[in-house]
Amino acid sequence: MNDSMSIPYLIMNASGVVQFVMLILILASLLSWIVIFQRSFVIRRAKRAHQDFEERFWSGIDLNELYKETPSEQETVGAEHIFRAGFREFNRLLPKTRNPQSILEGVQRSMRVAWSREEERLNLHLVFLATVASASPYIGLFGTVWGIMGSFQSLSMAQQATLATVAPWIAEALIATAMGLFAAIPAVIFYNRLSSASSKLLGKYEDFAEEFHSILHRNLQGRGNSEGA
Amino acid sequence: MARHDKRVGYGLPTMLAVGLHVLVIIISMISLPSSTSDPTEASVVQATLVRTETTTDQALRNEDASGGTESSDEEPEEQQTQAEEAEQEPAEENTPEPADNTEQQAAERETTAQEREEARQAALAEAERRQQEAERLAQQREEEQRRLEEAERQREEEQQRREEAEAERRRQEEEQRRQEEAEAERQRQEEQRRQEEAEAERQRQEEEQRRQEEAEAERQRQEEQRRREEAEAERQRQEDAAQRAAEAASGSLDRAIAGEQDAIAQARQADEAANSFQNLVKRYVEQAWNVPPEADSGTVALVRLRLLPTGELVEANVIQRSGSDSFDRSVVRAVERAAPFREMQDLPPGAQRRFREFNLRFSPGEVR
Repeated sequence: MNDSMSIPYLIMNASGVVQFVMLILILASLLSWIVIFQRSFVIRRAKRAHQDFEERFWSGIDLNELYKETPSEQETVGAEHIFRAGFREFNRLLPKTRNPQSILEGVQRSMRVAWSREEERLNLHLVFLATVASASPYIGLFGTVWGIMGSFQSLSMAQQATLATVAPWIAEALIATAMGLFAAIPAVIFYNRLSSASSKLLGKYEDFAEEFHSILHRNLQGRGNSEGA
Repeated sequence: MARHDKRVGYGLPTMLAVGLHVLVIIISMISLPSSTSDPTEASVVQATLVRTETTTDQALRNEDASGGTESSDEEPEEQQTQAEEAEQEPAEENTPEPADNTEQQAAERETTAQEREEARQAALAEAERRQQEAERLAQQREEEQRRLEEAERQREEEQQRREEAEAERRRQEEEQRRQEEAEAERQRQEEQRRQEEAEAERQRQEEEQRRQEEAEAERQRQEEQRRREEAEAERQRQEDAAQRAAEAASGSLDRAIAGEQDAIAQARQADEAANSFQNLVKRYVEQAWNVPPEADSGTVALVRLRLLPTGELVEANVIQRSGSDSFDRSVVRAVERAAPFREMQDLPPGAQRRFREFNLRFSPGEVR
C-alpha cells in the first residue's frame, strides 16, 4: 500500500502519455538548469571583464597600445570587442578620407554591429528559459488532465467508487503538474534575473560606445585643426 | 590575458544541472521512507482504535470483525508476493552474470542453478515460515479480538445495568418529585380555597351588614314617614274636625276654604316628599362615597345635581369647592355612582320639577 503510493512507483506505473509528459518535463528542467548555470557564468565573467577593461581604458593608456594589447577580433567580448571594432574602422578610414564626418559614421556603424553581436551573445538561450517558464506548467497540466481522465475511466469500470480506485491515478496526475511547476519556477526566476543583468550590461556597452565615439570625435577635430593651421 | 576563461563551455553547467536534479530526486527518495514508515504504525493504531470506538453498536462491531479477518487474510498474500519477489530477485541477479564470461558459463550455470534452487528453497521455507507466522499472528489477533469483544460485552452489560439502575433512580426521583408537586399543588389549592372562602365570607358579611344598614335606614325612613303620615293624619283629622266644625258653622264658603286648605296641605305634603327625596339622594350618595382618608371632617363641598324626570343624572358640578381637588372629585364620583335615583318617578309632578336641579352639601363628618 505504501510502496504503491511512493513517487518512483507512481512514475513507473503511470500511463504512457503521462510518462511521456514527465520525460519532457524532466528534460526541460534539466536543459533550463544547464542554461541557467551557463548564462550565470557568462554574465558574471562579462561583468568582470567589462570592469577590467574600463579600468584599463580610463587609466590614460595610449589607444594604439591598448589596441595592440587586446587579442584578435574573434576572441574579444564585451566592450573590448566594441572598442576593437571601432578603433580598427577608425584606423582604416583615417588614411582614406579627410572628411571627419564620414570617418565617424563608419566608426559608429562598426561599433553598432559589434554591439548587436554582443547583445546576441549575451541573450543566447534566454529565450529557451522563457519558453520553459511559460510552457512547462501547461505541459504538466496536460499530464494531470490526462491522468484524471484515466482515473475517471477506472472509476466508471469499478463497482464501488472508493478513494482507493481513484487515488493512484490522481496522485500520478498531480506528479505531472508538480514536475511542470518544478521546471517552470526556476526558469521564470532566472529568466527575469538574467535578462535584466544582460540588459544592464548592454546599457553599459552602449555608454562606452558613446564615450569612445566622443573621444574619437575630439581626436579628429584636434587633428583637423592642427592640419588646417 | 587567459582567453579560454572568456568562453564558457557547457560541460560544467550540464554537470551542475544533472547534479542538482539527482540531489532533488535523492532528497525526495530519502524523505519518503521516513514519511511512509509512520503511517504503517499509525494505521495499526487506527485499526485498534476503530474497533474500540464502534463496539457500542452491535452491527458495526460485526462489520469490524469481518473487516479484521479480511485484513488478516490480506497479510499472508502480501507475504506471498514478497516471497515471490524474493524468488525473482536471485533470478534477476543471476541473469547478467553468465553473459559476462562465456568460458565459465557451464560451471557457473551449474552453480547458479544450484544457487537458484537453494534460494528458491530458502524462499519457500521463508514463505512457509512467514505464512505460519502470519497464521499464528492471525490466531493471536483473533483471540485478542475475542477477548476484547468479551470484555466489551461485559462492559456493555455493566453499562446497561448501570443505565437501568440510573433509569430506576431517575424514575423514583421523578415520582417523588411528582408526589411532592401534587402535595404542594393540593396545599396551594386548599389555601386558595380557604382564602376564597374567607374572602367570600368577608364579602357576605359586608353585604349583610350593608343590607342591614340599608334595611335599618329603610325602616327609619319608613318609620319617619309613618310618623309624619301619622302626624299628618292627626293634623288632617284635627283639621277635618275643625273643618267639620267650621262646616257645621259655615256653609259653602267653608267648603271653598277647605279646598284651599286641601291644596295647601297637598303642597306641604309635596314639600315633605321632596325633602325626603333630597335626603334619600344624599344618603344614597353617601353610601356610594369613598371618603378620601386625608379629608378632615370639617371640609364641605356643595354639589349641584341635574336630573332627568326618570331620575337619571345629567350633570353633577361642584359649586362650592372644598379646597381639596381629590375630595371634590370623590364627591362627584360618588354622585355618579349613586345615580340613577329612581325615586324621582314616585315624586309628585310639582316636586319633580323642583328637583330637576338641586344642591347637596357633603361633608365627611356627616357620613361618619
